[in-house]
Amino acid sequence: MMRQAKPAVARRPLTYQEVWGRVGIYAFLGVVALFFLLPLYVMLVTSFKSMDEIRLGLIFSLPQQFTIDAWVKAWTSACTGLECTGLRVGFGNSVKILVPSVVVSILLGAVNGYALSFWKVKGANVLFACLLLGSFIPYQVFIYPLVRVYAQTGIYGSLPGIVLTHVIFGMPVMTLLFRNYYSGLPVELFKAARIDGAGFWKIFISIILPMSAPIAIVAVIMQVTAIWNDFLLGLVFAGRENLPMTVQLNNIVNTTTGERAYNVNMAATVLTSLVPLAVYLLSGRWFVRGIASGAVKG
Amino acid sequence: MTAMKQMVAVSAIALAAATGIARAEEPLNAEVIHWWTSGGESAAIAVFADAFNAAGGKWVDNAVAGGSAARSAAINRIIGGDPSTAALFNTSRQYHEIIGEGLLNDIDAVASKNDWDKVLPEPIANAVKVDGKYYAAPVNIHMPLWIWYSTAALNKAGIDKPPETMEQFLADLDKLKAAGVIPLALGGQRWQENSLFSAVLTNVGGAGLWKSVYGDKDEAAIRSPEFRKVIETFVSLKPYVDAASPGRNWNDATALLIKDEAGFQVMGDWAKGEFKQASKEIGKDYGCIPGLRPDSPYVLGGDVFVFPKTDNAEQVKAQHLLVEIMTDPAVQVKFNNLKGSIPIRSDVDVSSLDACAQLGMKIMSDPARQVPDASQMMEEYVYGSVQDIVTELWNTPMTVDQAVDRFEKALKG
Amino acid sequence: MGAEFIRHVKRNFVAYIALLPMAAVVIFAYLGTMAWSVRLSFSSSKLLPRNDFVGLNQYVTLFDTSRWLTSLGNLAVIAFFFLLICFVLGCLLAIFIDQNVRGESLFRTVFLYPYAMSFVVAGLIWQWILNPDLGIQATMRGFGFSGFVLDWVVNPRMVLYAVILATVWHGSGLVMALILAGLRGIDGEIWRATRIDGIPAWRVYVSIVLPMLRPMIITSLVLLSISIVKMYDVVVAMTNGGPGTASEVPAKFIMDNLFERANIGLATAASTVMLITVLMVMAPVIYSQYFRKGGRAA
Repeated sequence: MMRQAKPAVARRPLTYQEVWGRVGIYAFLGVVALFFLLPLYVMLVTSFKSMDEIRLGLIFSLPQQFTIDAWVKAWTSACTGLECTGLRVGFGNSVKILVPSVVVSILLGAVNGYALSFWKVKGANVLFACLLLGSFIPYQVFIYPLVRVYAQTGIYGSLPGIVLTHVIFGMPVMTLLFRNYYSGLPVELFKAARIDGAGFWKIFISIILPMSAPIAIVAVIMQVTAIWNDFLLGLVFAGRENLPMTVQLNNIVNTTTGERAYNVNMAATVLTSLVPLAVYLLSGRWFVRGIASGAVKG
Repeated sequence: MTAMKQMVAVSAIALAAATGIARAEEPLNAEVIHWWTSGGESAAIAVFADAFNAAGGKWVDNAVAGGSAARSAAINRIIGGDPSTAALFNTSRQYHEIIGEGLLNDIDAVASKNDWDKVLPEPIANAVKVDGKYYAAPVNIHMPLWIWYSTAALNKAGIDKPPETMEQFLADLDKLKAAGVIPLALGGQRWQENSLFSAVLTNVGGAGLWKSVYGDKDEAAIRSPEFRKVIETFVSLKPYVDAASPGRNWNDATALLIKDEAGFQVMGDWAKGEFKQASKEIGKDYGCIPGLRPDSPYVLGGDVFVFPKTDNAEQVKAQHLLVEIMTDPAVQVKFNNLKGSIPIRSDVDVSSLDACAQLGMKIMSDPARQVPDASQMMEEYVYGSVQDIVTELWNTPMTVDQAVDRFEKALKG
Repeated sequence: MGAEFIRHVKRNFVAYIALLPMAAVVIFAYLGTMAWSVRLSFSSSKLLPRNDFVGLNQYVTLFDTSRWLTSLGNLAVIAFFFLLICFVLGCLLAIFIDQNVRGESLFRTVFLYPYAMSFVVAGLIWQWILNPDLGIQATMRGFGFSGFVLDWVVNPRMVLYAVILATVWHGSGLVMALILAGLRGIDGEIWRATRIDGIPAWRVYVSIVLPMLRPMIITSLVLLSISIVKMYDVVVAMTNGGPGTASEVPAKFIMDNLFERANIGLATAASTVMLITVLMVMAPVIYSQYFRKGGRAA
């Protein structure tokens, strides 16, 4: 099972064992992929049917009468309360909340991880342990105290308020990600730079950050997903003008005693998930090999 | 000189008139938090919004699907010091604690002006009146325990008229089963199982038992043979529900009736919306039974709006205008027609309501048959415990004795 | 002692400053909320917090509530299977994808997309798929397998496995991403060297690669544990705790009592019990990882 740079010899034909090895790999990945894709198939197929057809209850069958009505409705005219303007209303707000929250929470996570991993700060590990412990508490428990504190400091129902909230709730996992990743990096790099007289920020920016691509991409995946799909925090803390798209999604999907348009629900869910999906697709080029290895030699 | 004076006078009057008009035209902003997000509910609340806007207000909509989410959003806004003008709740004890903390404005002024003491049915008035003052504006009455049936399914089983007693109902269930139709369509979710239990309690035990068990939490009533019979009847319904029932949404259960695959469903009057969506007609395709005894209690539940505390005079004016609009007879009829519920006042023109709603109004107007729904008679957490017992009773092999013991413990708090 | 401490702080001064945001968040947001919720668990708070003191009443009520006890038992079952399956599957997927597979981007997205989907609708889809009348059972019986049974979602004995299935579908992708990031950080030299030495591939993985992946493995396990304890959305969407209380979980119990049941006292008591349990389980892990002598270890 060879990697990248192949030695400069003529490629010999694969052995019997290796062929079966390749077949096995693709077979495994293929079967698991089918399992993963099954719900998406049902979701898509349902979204292209009419409600009459959905009521028949044949969830795996292809649409008898293919229609994109549900998609159009989800985006532009589904009722989300008094207004029947679909999902698009909240799209801008979601972006407004997403970008600063992702940037700040990841940067802080990286700095925290770096400081915890390479520097001796008394009590830092205790703080980190408390942070980890706190991440096990369902965040709904935090809502009431946070609302009170925000109200007193005047940031309740504002964009800074919701960004701060996302930073707070993202901090444990972000710090964990970077701290563990950095602890796997060779400490000689750091020591060498210190001997050369470099300070905290210099080492971080010129040595550590460039090596952080693989973990940074995972951090982006996690935070974009969490923040984009967040509903409750946005509802409580963002303020009326900044309500994210998930509030509309919830309104479309989650009625109590009203009728449920499953096709619109499915379309709306897929539409909402397109942004994180795009991030996943684009993240590909950073899942590359050899970021750390170059540094060791150099 | 006179001409100048005249001109100045005219200009002054014109100016005064202009600014006066401008002042009068400034709309009263009212932000309303609610959970009515489906197509039908949207159309219903639009009636309120349009009427409010026409009367000089400006309706600012803040919809949050999911009653629990909407209510906690409203409460968080109050705590955060940025309350909405109005918020939707149900008739229950939900808002009593908020009133106790002094976080709601009372609307006594509007209530007494409109004679609510006379116009509202007693259980509803009791739900919205706390310490002698009116705090919430009721906007509709939902009856959660209607028994719906599919005409075609009943015909297939050879049932020529809908049941009028519990014995007939149980016999009909057997006939449906023999005909290969699902006798009772149920969504196996906690609240639906509880509706079914409540329907058995009201129809087997009557208004008296309903009030003494859920209202007075009377030990003798809980341990009585009548209540035991209620529990036994409830459990005896299990074989008439199909195996795929757990987790099913209520509208998917209604869909079974629409497809004529099931005979009966116990559901609130909002089920009419589903039938209407599928173009089914009352009488022809489906029907509604209000109860299985001649004096069956009409359980009154409904939606109310509360008004967070504010000293801002404009906001208070907006709140009062909202109340006036929402309880106006003509608006009531229009709103309830779209919502599937019935108006809160008996002095309205019911001719435009559908047959089931008219039947409901008729029964509801008889004070002897009005009973409050369970959540008005006990605290949220007590009601929660009761629901837990019912769902376990339905889903696990609990004995009647065990159930009675647990009911007693839960109701005693 | 004092002078040395001052010297130490001076040398690492910037690190102390850099960790101030983390300290602030931990102390005010996390520890503050923990303290507040523990305080409330000794009160009789219902919808809004109350300042009274009722001793251990809430805890007594808690352990007298069958729904709570059931949820604890359910969580133990879910924890075991979910942790095991999700972790193993995620690792396998990462290792297999790392084998120079064609279409890697596509596979990666297929395994990650469930993570992007909001659970409200994804849970409903799984409910449909595992429902005997709508899903796989109905389809298989339609094909002629009349004895086929797959009614997990309506069967109280199997419903937990339905939940596990849905959560594995949702979470394996993230484990895969983490392990893949770790694998990509491994020097390509190793593969070349071991191939020349003739060491079989599986041995390379077990003896060399796995230990090098330790930070990512620990991260994955911690993240999986966090999502187990906080598991809520999937249960609400798929089964709402049913049939009956067969799939109740502690986080849902806490949430229901915090909002719907307006019983903050009971909810915070439950939350405190969970916190203590997590503390007892995680304390030895955290201690051995971060507080051992010379522990820069992951």
